[in-house]
Amino acid sequence: MNKVYDKIIELSKSVKAQNLFCAAKELSCVRLFKNTHDFSNLQEVYLSYLYNFDSLNRDIIVDKISPHVLDDKIYWDSYFLWKKKYSKQDNKKENKQRELSIVIRKDITFPNKEKQ
Amino acid sequence: MDDRLKEAEKIIKDMEQDSSLSKVEELIKDNRITFTYKENKYRVRLLNSAEKDELDLLRRKKFGQLLKDKDILFEKDILNQYKERGLNVFEETDIEIKKLDSVLMDLELKLGESISRNEPEQTLKNYKDKVQEIINKKKILFTQRNLLLEFSFENAILNYVAQIITYLSLEIVRDGIWKRMFNSFEDFQKYEDCELINRAGEYSMLLQ
Repeated sequence: MNKVYDKIIELSKSVKAQNLFCAAKELSCVRLFKNTHDFSNLQEVYLSYLYNFDSLNRDIIVDKISPHVLDDKIYWDSYFLWKKKYSKQDNKKENKQRELSIVIRKDITFPNKEKQ
Repeated sequence: MDDRLKEAEKIIKDMEQDSSLSKVEELIKDNRITFTYKENKYRVRLLNSAEKDELDLLRRKKFGQLLKDKDILFEKDILNQYKERGLNVFEETDIEIKKLDSVLMDLELKLGESISRNEPEQTLKNYKDKVQEIINKKKILFTQRNLLLEFSFENAILNYVAQIITYLSLEIVRDGIWKRMFNSFEDFQKYEDCELINRAGEYSMLLQ
């Protein structure tokens, strides 16, 4: 069983699968699977790795990280974990900033409907 | 000459890699897996909602049956029995696993951060070796724990569910049409070719 999952990871990392994934995101006529719903567990695992490796490849392209990260499962797993935690913290910060930006200032006066 | 040999070996390796990847592609192209066994064509599917209801019904029946069986113990009771006999392995193992999990998480985050900072290869390798060591330790502890709990109530239910899923999802081609392999769960249980059942079982569990 583990061998199958290892192969699924290998496939999702491959250039062919990544190209197909990018094409499927852009073009609705390109489909990854025959079925459009009721995805199997294996398909869901494959999809999640496609997303993760797509994000990893983007970071490699912009020289954020070394391409060697792709060589070892422990490297990419750790990077995914760190990135997930880091992006969560980032999102929290962003949300806090957004919350602050909608705080009503005291000097704002709203029009009185009754007077109008 | 050596270079040409190496090149040829590389080509063969790449071809093998491609063929094994294309086999995996077959497993994910849709939500069913088709395979051939002793010249017959079989497939397993993701269960539909009616089959899931049937699975649920059979599982509940089995749950009731097992509850009445005093020979089958819950994991918790097995742990207590081990404890009574002076074996505190589980508590120690669980504490050890929790400790390892926390160290592992910490190391992986540090490694992830080092990768993001493009730190030297040696630094990454040091972290990697430590992570690998902990993963190996965890594997050993889990195997030990699972072996001691092999005959628990929880495991009995899981095994039974796997059997029902295989029974419900296995189909065979007869006269060019896909048909359910077994008409009843009793037929499935009486079936003698374990190799077919095991293979179908492995595939069907990959889908659910």
